[in-house]
Amino acid sequence: MGANVQKNKIDVKKIDRIIKGYDKSEESLLAILQDFQRAFQYVPEEGMKRLSRAMGVPESKIYAMGTFYKALSLKPRGKHTCKVCMGTACHLKGAGQILETIERELKVKRNSTTEDGLFTVESVNCVGACAMAPVVVVDESYAGHVRQSKVMDILDKYK
Amino acid sequence: MEKITIIIDGKQVEAVKDQPVLMAARENGIDIPALCHHPELESSGGSCRVCLVEAVQGGRSRIVTSCNYPVRAGLEVNTSTDQVMKIRKGVLELLLCRVPDSEVVRGLASKYGIDEPRFFKDEGENNRYKCIACSLCTQVCEDVVGVSAISMQNRGVEKAPGTPFHKDSQACIGCGACAYACPTGAISMKDSKGVRTIWGRKFKMAACSVCGKPYIPQAQVDWIVKTTGKDRAFFDKCPDHR
Ligand code: SF4
Ligand code: FES
Ligand code: FES
Repeated sequence: MGANVQKNKIDVKKIDRIIKGYDKSEESLLAILQDFQRAFQYVPEEGMKRLSRAMGVPESKIYAMGTFYKALSLKPRGKHTCKVCMGTACHLKGAGQILETIERELKVKRNSTTEDGLFTVESVNCVGACAMAPVVVVDESYAGHVRQSKVMDILDKYK
Repeated sequence: MEKITIIIDGKQVEAVKDQPVLMAARENGIDIPALCHHPELESSGGSCRVCLVEAVQGGRSRIVTSCNYPVRAGLEVNTSTDQVMKIRKGVLELLLCRVPDSEVVRGLASKYGIDEPRFFKDEGENNRYKCIACSLCTQVCEDVVGVSAISMQNRGVEKAPGTPFHKDSQACIGCGACAYACPTGAISMKDSKGVRTIWGRKFKMAACSVCGKPYIPQAQVDWIVKTTGKDRAFFDKCPDHR
């Protein structure tokens, strides 16, 4: 994860505003964590701590929730998510080299975020589009039959 | 408490309706191995699957976890048929691959003739755990101690108990109930020179005014005094000298 991303000051007021918008009830917890994720691109530690205090729910429980759901990330995430499918079909069609190219060009390791906070690169299992393997998914858009030499053109559009 | 008669391993025994089969068996001197069940914790059990038995009811036979299968009239239980033993052995072998360093699991597995699991791939010392992710520790912490200092984190193969943010938990009182409850000896707790170390935090122990032995974390005394209103002076002496 990029150093300057992590140093980004999180806005405590924004955290409290999100929490205030909900009823004081255990049922609000997940919705609030999702709002944190949306507002900050991740769930900050300070957010979980404040949530624990505001709702009177132990920190351990909120942390358990935060680590359980795939939709929540405890590390700062990039503005865009780039998923490289490493399922069987994509793997056979050279997904490994594609991922390596992205890692090299963006100077980032898989399952982490670029220094400038623009991309979070993830390797994922079959995304269900094997017919167009190898597949790269940026945010919600799927690119199929991706060639190693062309993969950076796809990502450049998001820069 | 409604008493009923059921059959375990061909013997007629008395049991309480709705109690877990495991407890009914134990009360009648029939031993079924079990790891993740604790009689004091209602929500415990059902995760290690070591306690599997055959339950026959209404002519239907099923393999069930005895620690959370309720006793009902007409139930017939078989704890050690060939099929049960074979499945239990399989469960133990898989558990042993996961926690080869746990003496408890190793001991149990060897009773079933497994000394080394066939599937174990040693990934080095840093990747060996004794935890089978049964969550007894976190349940004790929440339901019995009442502090919820630890919780089960992550999911799937990464699921494990821990303190929030992997930092010292301010909620922890150092009581060690989790370590006592853990069936596989996975939680490290060390007492030395009046200091207890658990979950990465150090707790000062209060000493007995008679024998001088440090016997309870100061934080635990504070917690008990705060939540029960018990007289602080009560903790001046250890249980042996009260
Ligand atoms: S540490 Fe022990 S009690 Fe806690 S989940 Fe692991 S095996 Fe169960
Ligand atoms: S393997 Fe990549 S889409 Fe199925
Ligand atoms: S003791 Fe029954 S499943 Fe673990």
